Amino acid sequence: MQLKFEHFAATSLMGSEESPPRNNGELKFARDWEGLAFGMALALAKKGHYEWEDFRQELIASIDEWESKHDRDDPSWDYYQRWQIALERLAIESELIDEAELEKRTAEIINCKHDEK
Amino acid sequence: MTKYDGFNYDRDREIYSAARVRALESLLIEKGIISGETVDKVLNYFETEMGPFNGAKIVAKAWTDPKFKAQLLKDCNAAVSNIGLPVGMSGAEGEHMKVVENTAEVHNIVICTLCSCYPWPTLGLPPYWFKDPTFRARAAREPRAVLTEFGVDLPAETTISLWDSSAQIRWFVLPKRPEGTEGMSEEELAALVTPEAMMGVALVPSPSAA
Repeated sequence: MQLKFEHFAATSLMGSEESPPRNNGELKFARDWEGLAFGMALALAKKGHYEWEDFRQELIASIDEWESKHDRDDPSWDYYQRWQIALERLAIESELIDEAELEKRTAEIINCKHDEK
Repeated sequence: MTKYDGFNYDRDREIYSAARVRALESLLIEKGIISGETVDKVLNYFETEMGPFNGAKIVAKAWTDPKFKAQLLKDCNAAVSNIGLPVGMSGAEGEHMKVVENTAEVHNIVICTLCSCYPWPTLGLPPYWFKDPTFRARAAREPRAVLTEFGVDLPAETTISLWDSSAQIRWFVLPKRPEGTEGMSEEELAALVTPEAMMGVALVPSPSAA
């Protein structure tokens, strides 16, 4: 009996604080980049670049970090921001990318966006 | 209204997060680690293969096709595999699915005492309260009160049955077809069905009441 990886990965996040936001049984992405971050995290594990459990632990750590500095009902809480931080840390730890090039590319994208305005 | 530009934290943070994610994607694509389609494929699974739209389709078909309904209640998996739903539906998670029908006499609620037994391919991702031990305990002890809190008021003579999903059997509820839906197509009917209705904690509202 085979369980699809996507199914397994989503199941492992349910029932605790690391569960993703959802609406009527479907994943809820408020912004485009949330879906992109979600999909990348799953895809990299599916392709064997890291274990899904490693991502889950990284996400839990990222959420804990926020909670140690904020109240639980702080309006600045943002699930996918924690997800994004966990994802890039793991991508760096797994040596898929290095931090300097990520910083550089981020700056390029931000500047390019600003130029368009 | 005065426009206040002094505080741009959220907007800046927003631009920054979006840029970080896109930067990561572009680097991974550049290095050949993922392709432009990789992420879409993953998301597509959640959007088209596994989700409450599958359950809604089954319900709408059962409402309009008495033969299908009879088969569904008798052997859910056989019925589902006949209507062209994705393979996953009758695979790992759908394998032991059983359907219970809501009628004027009986209202069914599905709970789950263990965590892994929600029929995802049919109902989608479970709502946060589904795994809450308080919900499970209260649904078992005082189902009528719990239903009232969900906005479902049943006539006193309706019996409430509780179905505990397990690794062996995953239950789902065939809700009552609402009034005022005569002549609606399967597609239109499916759009009325919510995951909550297929768990038995909501009724499918009549479209005229909306």
